[in-house]
Order: sequence, then structure tokens, then C-alpha cells
Amino acid sequence: MISLAKSRIMHAMDSQYLATLVDDRLAQGVFRVHPDVYASSELFDAEQKHVFERTWIFLGLESQIAKPNDYLVTWIGRLPVLVTHAADGVRRAFFNVCRHKGTVLCRLESGNTRFHVCGYHGWAYDAAGRAVDIKDQPSGGYTEAFTRDNHDLVPLGAFASYKGLMFGSVSAQVPPLETFLGEMRFFLDLAMEQGAQGMEFVPGRIGFTYNGNWKAQLDNSSDAYHLTSTHLSFMEVQRRRADSVSGNQAARQFDWKKRFEQEGGAYTFLNGHNVIWLNQSEDTKRPVYPQIDEVRARVGDLKAEWMLRLRNLTVFPSMQIADSTSLLIRTFRPVAVDRTEMRYYCLAPIGEAAEVRQWRLRQFEDFFNVSGFATPDDTAMYEDMAVGLKAAQIGYVQGYARGIGVQTAGPDALARAAGVMPISSASGMFDLQAETWGHALYREWARLMQSGVAGEPAWPQAAGAAQ
Amino acid sequence: MIPSTHVSIATRLLYREAALLDERRWDDWIALFAQHCEYWVPTWRTEAELATDPQRELSHIYYASRAGLEDRLVRIRSGRSPATTPMRRTAHCVSNIELLNAAEDRLEVRSTWANHVFDPHHRTQLVLFGWSEHRLEYGSGGWLIARKKIVLQNDQLPAMIDIYCL
Repeated sequence: MISLAKSRIMHAMDSQYLATLVDDRLAQGVFRVHPDVYASSELFDAEQKHVFERTWIFLGLESQIAKPNDYLVTWIGRLPVLVTHAADGVRRAFFNVCRHKGTVLCRLESGNTRFHVCGYHGWAYDAAGRAVDIKDQPSGGYTEAFTRDNHDLVPLGAFASYKGLMFGSVSAQVPPLETFLGEMRFFLDLAMEQGAQGMEFVPGRIGFTYNGNWKAQLDNSSDAYHLTSTHLSFMEVQRRRADSVSGNQAARQFDWKKRFEQEGGAYTFLNGHNVIWLNQSEDTKRPVYPQIDEVRARVGDLKAEWMLRLRNLTVFPSMQIADSTSLLIRTFRPVAVDRTEMRYYCLAPIGEAAEVRQWRLRQFEDFFNVSGFATPDDTAMYEDMAVGLKAAQIGYVQGYARGIGVQTAGPDALARAAGVMPISSASGMFDLQAETWGHALYREWARLMQSGVAGEPAWPQAAGAAQ
Repeated sequence: MIPSTHVSIATRLLYREAALLDERRWDDWIALFAQHCEYWVPTWRTEAELATDPQRELSHIYYASRAGLEDRLVRIRSGRSPATTPMRRTAHCVSNIELLNAAEDRLEVRSTWANHVFDPHHRTQLVLFGWSEHRLEYGSGGWLIARKKIVLQNDQLPAMIDIYCL
């Protein structure tokens, strides 16, 4: 292990330096991460290329582009992406870039159109990505070589869906989506099978930007340890509601005292994914509860029981589902080492009863909104981390140590009963608040960074999942 | 013809509301709202379309009564919210006040607002802006706000938004 002082002056692309960033010695009871991982702009540029452009990234829901010619616009890291639903019924994902001059092609976030026409010189593409009009081509004095050239939109390297969740990859050299998701499929099912007619995003755009690294958000969704310090003001509000001192009961929010009496835990999985869970003392406050008999009949007792537990999951690197109050999908997009754009989506069953939808909305807004009671306190901490982590002199941060002492390899009894196989399990009463979920994230980050810098494939076994 | 006294009632109340937020006189501020006051900050559905139904679409904030605002004050005063410590300083500017409807005991008012927000922790500042619709009602407590809808034009939000940011 080289000294931290030395590591600071070495080039970020040095593989020896990269190997020091995640101090992964679980056998000795140690898992630590170097401040540069969150604060180095050289590493940030490298991770765009080696992490975000070499793995599957969540793009949106199939139900967002339910009809032919529907489209949505999103991002993979810093690259603009267009997802379409063509008249042939096939969904496809492209770089949202006109072939003529490299201008962003589609300038609206979503819509429905048969043709995407570039605003600059009018080149037009159909929803299947074919170039259907090079404006004024006959009079343009083009050569035969140009005519022979391909002018269609450039598809992503890979595109696939799982249970209505669409993912894309810049690189074609990725494993099939289902292999990449692996055991996470069980937990994704728990979100995506709540509605008999499928799931949708409730209309309404929630986006915000914080001045911090994307990994602060990557961590926070799994972090139960911060609740009793960062969210004390929310707990105070919630206590007044539970005691009926507050007249604002619309969110039907949970009684936090009761959470401490519950068992919970953390799982890590292959490919950087993780899940935390907590047993539920107030299942009647879950918006899925009024439909639980229908759900149980459709998906079985095991999944129905799991749907009532609190679950937060991360699909590495940039998609999270939180089902801790009402159901949330969160994506984040790093735009600079210390700047991150967030999107929050309220995920709900299609055709949900109006009164349940209202309750879901109030619960979501109350906790998750950046204009709500919880998220602003998290993001305040992310911004303070961005300031503090410039001090690499403090050495490795110690935020992935809780729970190592009780963690076991493989599944615990609960996972085994569900038929899922985590790499590691850590469970106990709520106040264990294990941080072992971080091991999955930073092992995968280090793996992708190290192989990328070494010029090795990210997924040696992947033949490439063609679009 | 709307009597000019109605315009001045509305103007006075809107200016007062802005000043009380800037001066952090929370009890005086909340006293301007009727118990049944609806407080609504809709999201944008798309770049061009505002959400229109808080029961079917996400809102930034939606409270069907003043109790939601009272919860906000508990949080602000708790001293336990990192996003609220230290408190941001604000300067609310309200202008373009227009009476849309007036009755003896009821006024509908549209105004344009810009709020300058300074964060003494990071020493950064920003401006949030939009327009508001107030419904003012006259009762035993005098003129009170019975509904406030706040349209936030710059909705790629900073890392925190609270009632005093709007």
C-alpha cells in the first residue's frame, strides 16, 4: 500500500494508485474508501468512460412511451440519449444526436412524433432511427460516397427491458440485462408487480441539482444510519402527527418509534447492486396495502409479504428504488465531480384508485421531495461532503464499517427463504444500520475503473447484447 | 370596475406576507392564512405544461389546510434540520399585482414574485421566481389568505426548497 501523500501526486490513470482507492480487506475486518473517489476531477472524467459508458444504465419505463411514436429523452452520464417506440412496436435507444453536425436532435424531454427533425439543418429521422430526409439532397452536390454512407441515428451499444424497466448501454460488450441484474430481479419484481395492469410514473417533474459528487446519493439511499441524526426535524414533525398535535395527517406517514422494534438488514449482490430492508410494523400505511389481497393472489404470499417490508435498492451505478414511504425511482446524472443532477419519479400502479393515489402523492411529497421534509437534509450533507472530501489528508473515510462484524457470506435465512443469493448478508435490529451495502458499490466501481484503465474489457464473458 | 380599496387591501396583504417571511416572523406570517387555506406549489408536467390537479399529479408542495404549513414551522424552528442551519436569508419582491375577481368578502389576486436567496453556509445566492395566485377572504379575523397557488418558473431546483424560498 502506497502512502496517501504519495497517491495524491500520482496521475489518476496509474493502476497502482487506482488499486489503493478502495481498501477492500474484509478478511481483516477493513473496508475503506479514499476521498479522491468522491473529489478527484481526473477520476471523474475516467469514470464517465470506464463506469457509465461500460455498463447498463436505467433509461425509463416502457409505459412512458406506451404508444407508437412516443419518445423520451434522457442521458447516460454526459451523453444524450433518445428512446423511441416506432410504428413497428419496437422500442429502440439512440444517441440523441443528429448525424449532420452533431447537434442534439430532440430538444423536448418527451412527446409523440412520427419524425424527428433536427432544428439546425432539417435532417429528419423516423422513430426507428432511419434517416428519411437529408434536406435538399438533390441540389446539394453530394458525392456518391456520401450517398452510400449511413446517415441513420446511431443506436446505443445495447438496449433491453426487464419488467417494464428500460436499460441501455453505450458499450455493446455487456452481459444480457437479466444476467447483469441477477438476483436483483426479485427485488425489482417487488416494485414492478405491485399493479395488476403494470406501473407508471405519476405526472409531475421533480428535478434538482446538488453541489456534490454522485456517490453521495449512491450511498445515501441504502444508509439507514443517518436517519436518527440527519432527519431529526422530520422525526419531530412526525411525532407531533402521531400524537395528533399536528392536524396534517394527509401523508399517513410512519411512526418512527416503531421502526426501532423491527428487524432489518443489508444484502450485497454481484455487479455492484445492493438492497436494504426493514420489517414493517405499520403495513396499513403502505399505499400498496388496500390492494394487497389482489396482489397476493397474483404474485403469491412470498412476494406480497416482501412488498410490505421497507426496501431500498440500488442498481449500480445510477438507479435506485426506495419503497420506504411511497414508491420512488430515483436516477442521478453526474455532470461534474461536485455537481449532480437528480430526477425523482413517483412510481404507481396503472389504474390505481383515486383515493390511494392521493395518499401516495402526499406521502411521496412529504418525505422525498426536495421541497419536502427529508431530502433537503440529505442533500445538505452531500454538499458538505463535497467540501470536506477535498481534504484527502484525512485519509480513508470510515463509512462502510458498520455491520462488518456481523456480516455473513451468502444468504441469511430470509434471503434463502426468498430464493435469492446475495454475496453477503448483515441483519439485526433496526439500530444495526449496517453499512456493508457499500462494499458492493465500491468493489464494482473499482473493478470497472481498474479494468478500464488497463484497457481490459469490463465484462470478459460478454459476447455483446445486440440491440 | 374594481374599487381601488380592493387593490390596496390585496397589495398590503401580499407585501406583508413577503416581509414577514424575510424577517422570519413565522407566527405573524402563518396568522395571515385561514385555517382552511389550501397551499399549492404545482410541478411542471413537461417543459411547457403545468400540473393542474394535485390529487392526480405530483406537487412540489400541497397542503389542503394550514396544518401543513404549521408542520413546516416546526421543522424550521427545530434547530435539527441541516438544510435549515444556518437559515438562508431572503428578499421577496412582489409586483404586477392584479385583481382577477373581487366581491365584498373575497378577492382573487395574481402577482409576480422573485425571491433572492442567500446561503450563508456556502456563501452562494440564487433567485427563484414565478407568479402566485391568492384567494383572500374576509371574515372575523379580517382579510386572510384562503388559497395560495405558487408557480415556480425555474424548477430545476437547488438542493433545498422550503416555504421561505417561495
